[in-house]
Amino acid sequence: MTIIKDKSIIDDAWHAHQDNESLVDNSIVNLSYWLENRDSLKTCQQALGLLVDGDADIHSFKDDLSCFAIIAINIPDFVDGRAYSLCRLIRNQYNFTGEIRAVGDVLPDQALYLTRVGFDTLKLENDESAQLAINKLNDYSVRYQID
Amino acid sequence: MYQYNDIDQTLINERVEEFRDQTQRFINGELTEEQFRPLRLMNGLYIQTHAPMLRVNIPYGLLSSKQLRMMGHIANKYDKDYGHFTTRQNIQYNWPKLEQVPDILADLASVQMHAIQSSGNCIRNITCDPLAGVSADEIEDPRPYCEIIRQWATLHPEFSYLPRKFKFAVSGSPKDRAATQVHDIGLHVKKDAEGRIGFEVLVGGGLGRTPVIGQVIAPFVAEEDILSYSEAILRTYNLFGRRDNKYKARIKILVKETGLDKFKAQVDAEWETIKNGPLKLSPEAIQRVKAQFTPFAYQAPASTNAVSSPEHNSGPFRQWLKQNTIEHKQVGYRVVFLSLKSPTQAPGDITTEQMNIVADLADQFSFAQIRTTHDQNLALTDVLESDLFPLWQQLSKAQLATANIGTITDMICCPGLDFCSLANASSIDIAQGITDRFTDSAIDTGNISLKMSGCMNGCGHHSIGEIGILGVDKKGEQWYQLTLGGADSHDSRLGDRLGKAIAKADVVDAIDDIVHVYKEQRTTNETFANTYQRIGIQPFKDKVYDNH
Ligand code: SF4
Repeated sequence: MTIIKDKSIIDDAWHAHQDNESLVDNSIVNLSYWLENRDSLKTCQQALGLLVDGDADIHSFKDDLSCFAIIAINIPDFVDGRAYSLCRLIRNQYNFTGEIRAVGDVLPDQALYLTRVGFDTLKLENDESAQLAINKLNDYSVRYQID
Repeated sequence: MYQYNDIDQTLINERVEEFRDQTQRFINGELTEEQFRPLRLMNGLYIQTHAPMLRVNIPYGLLSSKQLRMMGHIANKYDKDYGHFTTRQNIQYNWPKLEQVPDILADLASVQMHAIQSSGNCIRNITCDPLAGVSADEIEDPRPYCEIIRQWATLHPEFSYLPRKFKFAVSGSPKDRAATQVHDIGLHVKKDAEGRIGFEVLVGGGLGRTPVIGQVIAPFVAEEDILSYSEAILRTYNLFGRRDNKYKARIKILVKETGLDKFKAQVDAEWETIKNGPLKLSPEAIQRVKAQFTPFAYQAPASTNAVSSPEHNSGPFRQWLKQNTIEHKQVGYRVVFLSLKSPTQAPGDITTEQMNIVADLADQFSFAQIRTTHDQNLALTDVLESDLFPLWQQLSKAQLATANIGTITDMICCPGLDFCSLANASSIDIAQGITDRFTDSAIDTGNISLKMSGCMNGCGHHSIGEIGILGVDKKGEQWYQLTLGGADSHDSRLGDRLGKAIAKADVVDAIDDIVHVYKEQRTTNETFANTYQRIGIQPFKDKVYDNH
């Protein structure tokens, strides 16, 4: 897996936390784990991220956004467009200023739209697809919408 | 008409190159069929029974003569010398080669045309009244608004992977000629008490497997808010529309399952947060687009009886004048419909040669513009009355003056089994049978809207035809389900099922029976719809099923 940000490949500073392991710094916890352990997690000192599915109900975590440095949205199938709207809501309506990352089934061809709706980083399958995604970000020099 | 600026042109040029790269990667095996599928669909490319099918957008059904010539050129160079006009005012090519599609798109881009979002689960071409700008009852020309919505919807980053396709239609007149009630969003131009322009917004209409008439979600949305309101609807749909079942994924199902009131509350809550953001249209932004749709420089008519000299007394000309032309808001002009339902061609089909002729005639007689209609015909909307006779003569020579607009032989028909891989049954041969049976009596029978689809998807709009024909599959055989009493104007209505499906060999006879009952029972000048409403379905049932 390879992460891209601002048209470059970057090192992944985040660790995907598994439910049964102990928490380390820079862990991304999934939503159900967060909801179960919210009270203790809120007091912990580590930098945290949250992993949600594209169809997650934003009301279940919108009040907790400030606890996280990163929100990762999982796209189960690249044709499922819910993540795009969810990202917009997190960014524009709930004013989340941290990193928003797209993970899961991400096609390089989708890189431009994903970044336009507010994703900062994209997780691609490998270096090759990451490079292709970077190239695809240059496909358009114009747009109709004001993002 | 709208002329591209540098941004519009750059955008479609870049889209061509993006698609060229995607096609090449697919051919090289770097994109799987599953990955390529939505990407190609978003550019109008289907894989059909025989070959790919490419659908090209004709925004709100308006073409310049130059663009129509290009349509002809493409048909000639990449296809079998003909194209097919659809009920959503677009054109389809049935035989392009996959590897040539990027070149076709480049040719299209050279005349400010494209296939962006003509298919796929995204916002499709915006359609409107084919008489926009020329009908006397118009409140406001809907085309500038269609163009504004088109731009907002084109390559929209958030709404390109919707649960299902999404269609807008806009009507500028009280009489709805854009079938807005059967679109995902239907917009009716309205003026409020202060004379401000806005829209009544309908949501959740649609044909297909579960035909639904759209409901009013907002009685008046001001023109400056139309994009933010649309965005609120689309976002709500994108988040909550069903994705577990393709047949339940249209917005009509979401509205039905959520309930209109609750859905409206969700949309309003979303709208509140974006209403005063960057999507709010300034008066200047609206005016900039409107300035591209100014009326033509019409001439004052030379005489008040332009079609009354002796040569105009030819019966066929008179018949055509009565059947295929209608009033124009400008005195001295008429709107001329070009029938694409001649006895020798499949409904909606047009040859390269005919496209070139129509383009020339548009240059000569109608300000170099052509409209496509929902009934799969063409229109020259601004013809001087004194030009009607020479125009008719030339149209006749090109098989484009069949005097049947609005009659039973002016039927709407999808490509069916001959071209479409989803079809249960053929439609083109049934259309031919109906044409053969009724050509001589069509005008005498009066106007009847007949619509036919080869499967439940309903591309031929069968459920809103006064007579609807739907192809069904019965153990591998082609059968046809008939419906009666549908309507697609301002009072849309879904047709009622006549009874059990009818075998292919009996369909034309059954239609004949239906027409027979109508003719027998109608009072003077009574329309099919009115007769049907008065006498009900039973007399038709009796006649059709007693005979078979
Ligand atoms: S109605 Fe069915 S058969 Fe006809 S074009 Fe549509 S999908 Fe194909």
